[in-house]
This record gives sequence, structure tokens and C-alpha cells, in this order.
Amino acid sequence: MNRIVVPGDLLADAPISIENTLIYDNKTYSAILGMYDDEKKTLIPLEGTWNPRRGETVIGIIDEARPSSYSVDLNSPFKGMLIARFVSSRLQIGSVVEAKVKELDETKTVMLMYAKKLYGGKIIDIPPAKVPRVIGRGNTMIQQITEGTNSSIIVGMNGRIWIKGGDVALATEAILRIVEEAHTEGLTERIAEMLKQNKKVV
Amino acid sequence: MEAGEKPQLIINGKRTDGRAFDELREIKIEANVLKNAEGSAYIEWGNNKILAAVYGPKEALPKHVADPERAIVKCRYAMAPFSSLEEHGRSGPNRRATEISKVTREVFENVILLDKFPGCSIDIFIEVLQSDGGTRAAGVTAAAVALAAAGIPMSDLPYAVSAGKIGDNIVLDLNKIEDNYSDADVPVAISPRTGEVLLLQMDGNLTKEELSKALALVKEAGKTITKLQKDALKRDYEKITEKYKKR
Repeated sequence: MNRIVVPGDLLADAPISIENTLIYDNKTYSAILGMYDDEKKTLIPLEGTWNPRRGETVIGIIDEARPSSYSVDLNSPFKGMLIARFVSSRLQIGSVVEAKVKELDETKTVMLMYAKKLYGGKIIDIPPAKVPRVIGRGNTMIQQITEGTNSSIIVGMNGRIWIKGGDVALATEAILRIVEEAHTEGLTERIAEMLKQNKKVV
Repeated sequence: MEAGEKPQLIINGKRTDGRAFDELREIKIEANVLKNAEGSAYIEWGNNKILAAVYGPKEALPKHVADPERAIVKCRYAMAPFSSLEEHGRSGPNRRATEISKVTREVFENVILLDKFPGCSIDIFIEVLQSDGGTRAAGVTAAAVALAAAGIPMSDLPYAVSAGKIGDNIVLDLNKIEDNYSDADVPVAISPRTGEVLLLQMDGNLTKEELSKALALVKEAGKTITKLQKDALKRDYEKITEKYKKR
């Protein structure tokens, strides 16, 4: 059974080593506002910033262009860095790129790789804590939206989503609804219903 | 009443606003009231009305204040010019506001897991809209909710409340008039999980026994305050959960 926990709430009487928890006196306490599942022993944050991990896909906006590198805004406290010779096209300030996290240094500067410039489209920012729900287990949720709206959608783990083509308005609406109801059960079915009802006949 | 004379603060065993010695004022907390802040809270504590907002973690600027190993906490406590009838209603940082900002910052430096955000800053703003004594305690209580609502990892959800001494009685949660004429005023912030004291200031004199009695009152009141803080954080989520449960 899922329950909402706040910092300092007791999760378990035994020490469990999961992210965003504290172990004190052989007991596990939550350090964040999140959903805790007593059976699966998982703690999912409800709010918070993105914690970069190697290999994750991100959507960034170039905010500084230097001769050999670019600084990338990642909608997070940490700055992204992109080496210019690994990028095939010349980027300008404001260019939108899809990239993967290559590595993090000790000051948490995010080194990026496999950058690809994205043309056109629409960007929405959502709280990074809701991204896993937008993607869904095994990509089910995002596939469902893509099929229901015929849009191409790229979800950055940093909470930035790029949508192009198809019914952009419906896709945005669906994503914002997922953000709002992320902590509830049966969301996939409700979104499926919503997409079916609003589907445009082409 | 002549100038300099103390008003009578306890009549028939009740305080000026009819409370018992160990009774809190009415407290209402609401989380996420400001859209632009990462986390925010609004608290009504008796006649106190206070907004707390949290921005960050974000890049610490200017660069020289950043700590490469942990986040830094900035805190600004301010009273609105219209918040009080008396001298506190001066806008801008004065000596008192600077002190309260500092002690509040130290409360949160001890509960936020700072090493998760190296080189970042977490900014806490506490704005007193209407004051009636005990604003620093109410400010800490609201800021704790705002920080949790911002998703910032903390070792605990701290609360604060003041205790004091009127005549020979140890009382809880002093309002402005009691604060001005009491024999002692002790604001305390506590981490409820461990019972650690995060803030303790004392204006006036208390004996050792009186202080432990005051702390006991504070800890008892903490149960109520912690519950209100948790309710405020969970309320919005539970509303949506409820909406879909019935179907």
C-alpha cells in the first residue's frame, strides 16, 4: 500500500538502503516528501530537482556558446557542458538539443554527449520528479500518448519535454494531467480514455 | 495603567486571550501557495500571518560564496512595513531581522542534507505580513513546510514555538503583549524525530527547573504542530487521490 511520507517519517524498523532516506538507530526514515510503498520498499519523490545520472537523456537549451564548448541550461541547479567538436552542427544560443549524460564531475557539472539539434517543436517544463510517471513502466505511458496524438515526443529526464507534430495541444494536456495526478493509481487507463475521447479524426 | 507599569497578564488563571498556560494559539498552515517558488507555505498562527518561500537548489552566486562540497543556505526574515502597530514595522533589514535570519538559517543548515547539492544555494524567504509575537517560531515552522514542499531532502521536519514565564507560571506560545511584559521568553526549535534542539534563545531569566519545564511544554505542543505541518504537505495530494478512489 502506498502512503505519502514527509521528511522524518519512519519508513521501516529495519535499515533499508534506498535513495533519499536516512538510517538512524537501525531504523529507516524518509528525507523527502514522497510516496512510500511498504511492500516493494520503494520511495518515490513527489517534488524535487533532477539528480543527474550517467546515460540519461536530457533536453537542454544552449545558453552560452564558446569556440570549443557550449554551456547548456538543463532546468536544474547543475550546468551542462557540451564539447563543440562532438556536435555535428553549429549551435547558437537558444538552440534546443537532445543529449545524453556522459559523466559528472565532482562539482556536478554535467558533461553531455551524442548531442542532436532539435528543430521547431514545443518545449514544456515539468517537475523532474514526475518524469518517470510520464514515461511509464516500460515506456507504456509515453507510447500511448505518442500513438494517441501522432506527435513525436522526446522526454528529458531533467523535466523538459519536446513535442513536435500531431496534436500538440492534446499531448501537452495529457502530460500536464499526468503531472497533476502522478501519485494516483489507475492513471494509465484514465489517460487512455482521455486520448480516445479527444482523438481528432484525420 | 501608568507608563512603565506592567499590565496584568493572568486573570483568574487564564491569559489575556483566554488561553490556558499550556495552550497554543490556533494554527493554520497551507503549503504551495506561491507558483514561482519551488516550495512555499503560508501560516496563520493566532494573529501572525507569515509567508515562507524556498527557491533552489540553484547555482550559488556570486561564485565565491559557493562551497564545492555542500550547498549553502541563505535566509531572509523580514517584517512588512504594515505588519505591526509599533516599531517593528520598519521595512528592510534591521538589527533584529538580521539576527533572526541568522538563527533561522542555522536551524535549517542542521536539517537539510547539504552534501547532496555541492556548489548550490538554497534560499529561504520568510515574510511577516502581520505580527503578534512569536514570529520567528512561526517563521521556522512555515519554512520547514516550504522546504519539504520544494522536495529538498531533510533529516527531519523541524518546528518551533516559544515558551516563557509570566510571574511564577511557565506558559507556552506568548503573544505580543505577553512577550513584551513577561519575565522570560524562550523561542525553541526542535527536530521532532530526535528531540534535538536546533534553536534556543532566552530573553529574561529562568532557573534550570523552569527551563526544563518550558522545554517539556514545547515538546508536548510539538506533537500538535508537527501534525499540522504534515497535514498541510499531504492535503493537496490526498485530495486528488480521494477524487479517483471513489470511482
